Amino acid sequence: MNIFLEVLVYGAVQSSIYALLAMGFCLIFGVANIVNLAHTAFYMIGAYLIYTFFSVLKLNLAMAILLSVVSVAILATGMYRYCIRPVMFSEWSVMMITISLALFFQQLMIFIYGPADRNVEGFIEKKLTLLGAVDIDAQRLLTLVVSVILLVLLWLFIYRTRMGKAILAVAQDREAALFMGINSERVYLTVIAISAALAAASGALIAPTIGARPEMWAPTLGKIFAVVVLGGIGSLEGTILAALLIGYLEVVISFSISSYFGEIVSVIVILLMLSFRPSGLLGKRIEA
Amino acid sequence: MPEQNNRSIFSGERVGLLIALAILSAVPLFIKNRAIVEIIILANIYAVYVASWDILCGYTGQVSFGHALFIGGGAYTAALLNFYFKFPPWVTIFFGGGVAALFGLIIGTPCLRLRGPYFALATFAAAAFPYGLTDVFWEVTGGLDGLYGITPIWPTLEGKYYFSVLLTAVCCGLVYLGGRSKKGLILKSIREDEVAAMASGVNTTAYKLTTFVISGFLAGVAGAFYSHNQLHVGPETLSINLSVLVIIMSVVGGIGTITGPIAGAYLLTIFNEMMREWEELRLLIYTAAVVLFLLFLPKGVLPTLSDGIKQWIKRKGG
Repeated sequence: MNIFLEVLVYGAVQSSIYALLAMGFCLIFGVANIVNLAHTAFYMIGAYLIYTFFSVLKLNLAMAILLSVVSVAILATGMYRYCIRPVMFSEWSVMMITISLALFFQQLMIFIYGPADRNVEGFIEKKLTLLGAVDIDAQRLLTLVVSVILLVLLWLFIYRTRMGKAILAVAQDREAALFMGINSERVYLTVIAISAALAAASGALIAPTIGARPEMWAPTLGKIFAVVVLGGIGSLEGTILAALLIGYLEVVISFSISSYFGEIVSVIVILLMLSFRPSGLLGKRIEA
Repeated sequence: MPEQNNRSIFSGERVGLLIALAILSAVPLFIKNRAIVEIIILANIYAVYVASWDILCGYTGQVSFGHALFIGGGAYTAALLNFYFKFPPWVTIFFGGGVAALFGLIIGTPCLRLRGPYFALATFAAAAFPYGLTDVFWEVTGGLDGLYGITPIWPTLEGKYYFSVLLTAVCCGLVYLGGRSKKGLILKSIREDEVAAMASGVNTTAYKLTTFVISGFLAGVAGAFYSHNQLHVGPETLSINLSVLVIIMSVVGGIGTITGPIAGAYLLTIFNEMMREWEELRLLIYTAAVVLFLLFLPKGVLPTLSDGIKQWIKRKGG
């Protein structure tokens, strides 16, 4: 029973982080057709910035999170403007330049903070006892709650605001949207800022649990791919479902077999999925 | 196989390649500095990695982010056979290539049905799989430290050097001739328009899969050579950094031209070693330089240079 509850909570936390990251990744890809391989680099930078603002500069928590998220969003729009937009004509130039930038950010973090892990102290140092049976760090629950709130806010933004409608319109047909007077450049900038902000927020939220490491982006990128492939690109519900599946699968396998197999389960999922149903669980049938 | 046109074997580009080969062969006669020779050996190995990537990706247009899967597969196969079963290097190198080719077949079958970003994402993920395995089976593979004490390919430095030149000449030569042959032309037609190639009766999947296997074999052979050269194998041969490095070398050289990426491999290996003085900043500058290359010389160094020279000659002539 204890183990069961622990798996339930750990899986939910893991899944919520994956969902936040994968949503951002899907959003840019679906709207602007940019495969942003530097996406999890933003997650890493988010973790380092929260370390800087919260653990080193001792700012208050809300301020530290806000500063990290906003600075990553600004960084991302700058990256879009000066590095991605000049090569947007070719899908794979974008992939090349974003992965080079991810490596650049990794080296930058090593240069500034050194190669060792940086630990961030918990935002709330408390243990909660659930149902009188399991002890869970309040930190993990906070991560879970905040991620869910962010996902709901994202959903409201996309489906309930004017800008959200513009984003959906551009995703459907960029030229038609242009004719309707939608400024697609502004839509792209908004989407990129939001997606980077989500990545930074998930990095900041997870930092007290796993610390900040310069190479934390690469394995996470692999898992985000797994979520995206499983959910089907362009399907928000599919992405959330896939994040839950991958998150729980990983936690269950880590608990029952070994954490190493938990790490590679996502790869197996990708290969199986791509072999049998490349459009993803809920994705539109694509010609693959 | 008949040539597409009646160029003699001594046409311009080939003369250049033969001169380059001659210079490479002469290196140990003039350079006695052990460190420099070791760097050129490394550059020779990287040239094979890059050439084998280019025949797959530059020619068929399928950008693989998992070339380290083949390199590391070959390197680990050779190292394990040599370490535990004392197989001599000339046997393990072929086994390394064979295992990498098998990887190409296993990964290629599901992945090649995909296009564009899906293919890149799948290869990226596939390469992460064995990287994790080296950690799981650390008792066999030595975990993060890897295995030390692999037999050297040849006891003397000169012998090792000439073996590396032989490897480069044979592997890159195969890729070069293959790329310039009729088969290479078919691969290019797949890159330009796969549907049109299919409509012309080309079994595109079979061509892509064969290229995947050949590319895997060559990279595996080079990977196996690498572990016998370093006398060590570690998980860095399977890392995403290596896959990206291979792509970067090709991009800097100019994708899809075979000779360009090979030149890129030499250029960047030497550039990388020259920067050793600034150890702290080395990788930072390196990655920044690559981003700038991608932005300002998207066609690659060699094509840009040769275009420039052609234009200069034209202006002089007319």
